Amino acid sequence: MVDLQQLHEAILNGDAKTAAAVAQAALAQNVPALELIQTAMVPAMDEVGRRFECQDYFVPELLLSARAMKAALEPLRPLLAASGAQPAGKVVIGTVQGDLHDIGKNLVAALLEGGGFEVTDLGVDVAPEKFVETVQKTNANIVCLSALLTVTMLSMKTTIDGLRAAGLREQVTVLVGGAAVTRQFAEEIGADGYGENASAAVALARACAKAATVG
Amino acid sequence: MRCLLIGCEVLLRELADAIARAPHTIDVDFLPKGLHDVGGVRMRQALQTAIDQADPARHEAVLLGYALCGNGLHGLEARRVTLVAPRAHDCIALLMGSRQRYDEYFHAHEGVYFRSTGWLERGRDVEQLARDAGTDFTLADLIRKYGEDNGRYLYDELRRYEKNYRQLTFIETGLEPDGRFEQEARAEAAEKHWQFEKIGGDLGLFRKLVAGEWDPADFLVVEPGGRIVASYDDGVIKAERMD
Repeated sequence: MVDLQQLHEAILNGDAKTAAAVAQAALAQNVPALELIQTAMVPAMDEVGRRFECQDYFVPELLLSARAMKAALEPLRPLLAASGAQPAGKVVIGTVQGDLHDIGKNLVAALLEGGGFEVTDLGVDVAPEKFVETVQKTNANIVCLSALLTVTMLSMKTTIDGLRAAGLREQVTVLVGGAAVTRQFAEEIGADGYGENASAAVALARACAKAATVG
Repeated sequence: MRCLLIGCEVLLRELADAIARAPHTIDVDFLPKGLHDVGGVRMRQALQTAIDQADPARHEAVLLGYALCGNGLHGLEARRVTLVAPRAHDCIALLMGSRQRYDEYFHAHEGVYFRSTGWLERGRDVEQLARDAGTDFTLADLIRKYGEDNGRYLYDELRRYEKNYRQLTFIETGLEPDGRFEQEARAEAAEKHWQFEKIGGDLGLFRKLVAGEWDPADFLVVEPGGRIVASYDDGVIKAERMD
């Protein structure tokens, strides 16, 4: 019998090879993909988030755990798709126009993907029209905007205005984050949520997804 | 007039020049560049501690040799002494002498990275992310701490930003001892396959800050009982009452 605790540990320790191998082995023994995700992988990422919050983990550890999570998720994808399991939510994420910083944004994207979201990452310096177009194409329900420079953060407002003008504002929850952003700013530009760090962003996205299911 | 200047070490040469010319007596406290990398909240805490060292019986104002810097100034309180801060998003605007000039340059040059003497001798960026985790940002150190595979992955991941940039602009203030800093900046641009440009800096804002010439268009003056908050317009920062 495959030890799911081993998968949990591998994600915590950022050991991508072991994480993928244990996931493969579990599937070979007919452990359902969803069970793997819910009993081992998601709790592991929650623990990673907790350790980051209390500064036991730093950005490198977060990157490695997200990498391990993605590696374990890889063999599960076709099964999840075949079973008709719906993603936790559909996310479009990017660093806003004018800003080229992506470490934080990449981290949030990886953690969301690890958390079962379908993520379309548009990269950096993303124009408002590109966000609009991608939301239309993917039928996303969450948009995550990142900015590190305060000199570029007004692009977040332009992007939200663009979504509104395209008639998409009601369809999507807009979450903003990055060093440039404060809670006040998020409120002022009409965003729906502000994540102070990567793990907070994932918690927010989950809360939104849950609210959408309940509502 | 006697003031306490709290400045970022990245701007040490420019501020030292301004202090040497100042008509006032300026006490100084230079804080490490690392505050730039630890996030707005921790940067603000460190700055507030430094500000609270000002003595109302001695100092007429605390001068901040900082820009808003990723919200590092957001929420700073003028508890007992007047606080003065330049209106700018980043210190690059201070080095250029005008936030309008910075804004125009920034938007006209896609993917531009800046260097000045201070940024070359005291500032590095992503290194801090590795340092927080207790390692140096070299491939060898990352491999030592995280193993071969993960070490390489982290090194690539943390350097990926370099591909997003196209140009390195060196801001020459005229205070440089010789061409060594420019040469270093040119070498860095060549190594990263970025274009190089040199532009002239402007020391006006540094000199006005320490001279007490606080034109409201360029400086925010916060009286005791107020705090600095980010403002999402051309003024960059504004004052808010604490009560």
